[in-house]
Amino acid sequence: MYVIQNGMLYTMEEQGVICADLRVEDGKIAEIGEKLSTEGAEVINAAGKCVTPGFIDAHSHVGGLMSMTDDDLNELTNPLTPELDAYYGINPNDKCFSVCIRQGITTSCLIPGSGNVVGGWGMAYKSAGEDRVIRRPAALKAAMGINPKGCYAPKNMTPMTRMAIANLLRTYLRNVKEYMEKKLEAAENPEKMPPYDLGLEHGIPVLEKKIPLKVHSYMHDMMTVLEIAKEFDILVTLDHAQGASDYYEELSDEHVQGVIFGPTCAPLFAGEGGKLDPECCKGLDDRGIPVAVMTDGPVTTVNMLVYEMGEAVRRGMDPVRALAMVTSNAAQILGIKERVGSLSVGKDADILIWSKLPSLATDAVLENVLIDGEMVLR
Amino acid sequence: MLIVNGRIHDGLGTVRREDLRMAEGRISQIGENLCPEDGEEVFDAADMEILPGFVQAISQWGVNGSMQEIRPSANDNDETSNPITPELDGFYAFNGRAATAQQLGAFGLTVCGIAPSDNNLFGGTIAAFEVDGVNPYKMCLKRDIGMMASVTEHLKQTYRMRPAAPQTRMWIFANFAEQLRKASAYKTEPGKPADEKLAALRRVVEGELPLFVSCDSKVAAERVREIVEHYPKLRLVLVNGFGLEGTEEWVIERNIPVIVRTAAFPLDESAMTLDLEAIAQLVRQGIPVALSGTYTNSLSAREDMLWNGIEMMKLLHDSEAVLPMLTSVPARILGLDDLTGTLEPGKRADLVIWSANPLETWQANVVHTYQGGRLIYQEGDEMKCM
Repeated sequence: MYVIQNGMLYTMEEQGVICADLRVEDGKIAEIGEKLSTEGAEVINAAGKCVTPGFIDAHSHVGGLMSMTDDDLNELTNPLTPELDAYYGINPNDKCFSVCIRQGITTSCLIPGSGNVVGGWGMAYKSAGEDRVIRRPAALKAAMGINPKGCYAPKNMTPMTRMAIANLLRTYLRNVKEYMEKKLEAAENPEKMPPYDLGLEHGIPVLEKKIPLKVHSYMHDMMTVLEIAKEFDILVTLDHAQGASDYYEELSDEHVQGVIFGPTCAPLFAGEGGKLDPECCKGLDDRGIPVAVMTDGPVTTVNMLVYEMGEAVRRGMDPVRALAMVTSNAAQILGIKERVGSLSVGKDADILIWSKLPSLATDAVLENVLIDGEMVLR
Repeated sequence: MLIVNGRIHDGLGTVRREDLRMAEGRISQIGENLCPEDGEEVFDAADMEILPGFVQAISQWGVNGSMQEIRPSANDNDETSNPITPELDGFYAFNGRAATAQQLGAFGLTVCGIAPSDNNLFGGTIAAFEVDGVNPYKMCLKRDIGMMASVTEHLKQTYRMRPAAPQTRMWIFANFAEQLRKASAYKTEPGKPADEKLAALRRVVEGELPLFVSCDSKVAAERVREIVEHYPKLRLVLVNGFGLEGTEEWVIERNIPVIVRTAAFPLDESAMTLDLEAIAQLVRQGIPVALSGTYTNSLSAREDMLWNGIEMMKLLHDSEAVLPMLTSVPARILGLDDLTGTLEPGKRADLVIWSANPLETWQANVVHTYQGGRLIYQEGDEMKCM
């Protein structure tokens, strides 16, 4: 049991930023208030410090991608592998998780890579602890653009083009829909039950709008995703989303569960890397479109969440709104806000204590990390 | 042009509120209460911070390759037909318009160094350029800055697939040693065609041209140390900054400059080992440490220089101590210290006016960037797309 005393609590709830004590018990936030009893608790003096929810990385591959040649998240033998599940690609003991903790990342959405048009299920997963899976599945991963093209064209396999990518994605979703219809018919006539198909089964929660299709998409590819989302009436998250500032109006759409921007780490390329607009974080947030950021780790450094908040703040975003991108917004987009993403009683005690506000002060140092109430960085 | 009332950070560790005059592309005067001359443009930089433009010692800016060309092709600094190409000149890898398209002035950069890739043992010479312009000959600040070498795993990864040497560290270090030995014994003989590779390396062992060695592990740094100790005139620059543990004493004793490239692309296992605290220790000992981009240059972000400075801020908590690592130190390592990297009269007017100190707060924006006295970016300019 811990009592964090006199910290500036960035609750990411309606009460906003308050100076108060916070008691942690049995892995949960047990109490928030002034002058809490410290009986039986280890006291952490947080006077003058910033206390935030643990950071949530809304798009990551840590634990499954060690190098370009040691990759357990890109099964590049078939562009449609919906039957796969990132859970089986992740090594819980991967050293990247300790790097995540040092950067304040307590939860990551771990997903298959973007080599396949449909890659498989992703999950929300903690960086440490006993029971690390928060939500599985949290999303079905899909990818548009240069990644599937770049993986399959050199093998003279489809998809070689964006034409084929749109067609493959649409065909898959249509097959899921038909499969669901047959299963429905089978309720009355068991002879009509289609043979069990794991890949199509994995698409059912998407068609039922229980999880989003999580789509690697840049620039105009986002509009293709939106067209397909409307056609099948599914929820999507637009991941990477460079160029989102060109499409504010279109992205204000009920099918868009959120935009997950980043990583802000590239030169200007031709093609889908031809627009770099970290200013879109503010633009999306101002319009009420849920926005989060990502590390894409370990493809880029897991420091990236702080850089992305900072670069959004440089472009006019309020530092607390920037913090929401890695806490409450990310939790909402990933469907895990009942557990994490804010400081309120009953939530998991995933807590960070900073010397200064990391979305404002460049030299903010992370001093303590708690996951499920356990001190994992001191 | 006169910039008044700004806080001038000279890039050497001091800051003072003074006025700064630019004339003919240079900083002509810095002082208190300078009076505008007839018809002189005056910019009021009250509450603003004036920093030297960042100097990225080793970068990929303007280097064209398959991502930019109409045909798949190698990057122009990556001549991997042979691992030993010291006769090549990095100058030719640079495309002025390709660098300009990145709009680096908006990120506080005014100078970039262009080096051959990490994929060759001896890659060729390094050149430095302005970041905004057209004609590389006009943009070039200096050619023949140093010889780029690499003893990293990248060599093995590059040549292993051919198959061709090097396949092993044995080859890398045997040839690193042997090429330098041959070069030190090399003499041109009348009537015999010159060996341009050895002639280029001869300048290295004679100390005429510094040797920039990209090292990625402790063992690599140890072997480099053993080999270069035979050449007292050789001027070494260590590139990357990871794998230095155990060699700090030598680095300090010999005052060897270090160019740090960070692990922003940590799929590279060796880059993940970068120990910034060890680098901070070198800085505290007075070693010239420059912060540069990322180890895998092709994915280097335009913000990398600043982000690397910010990582160092988390350890040093002193922006005047970090700023030289982005400005005067890289300028000195590249031999550009008579031209740029500090705000002093006589230097090129390569300077950036920030709304706040970008090393201290994320709420800092570039207001104006001047490169050689020319305004190359101002707040509100549209960001370019491709």
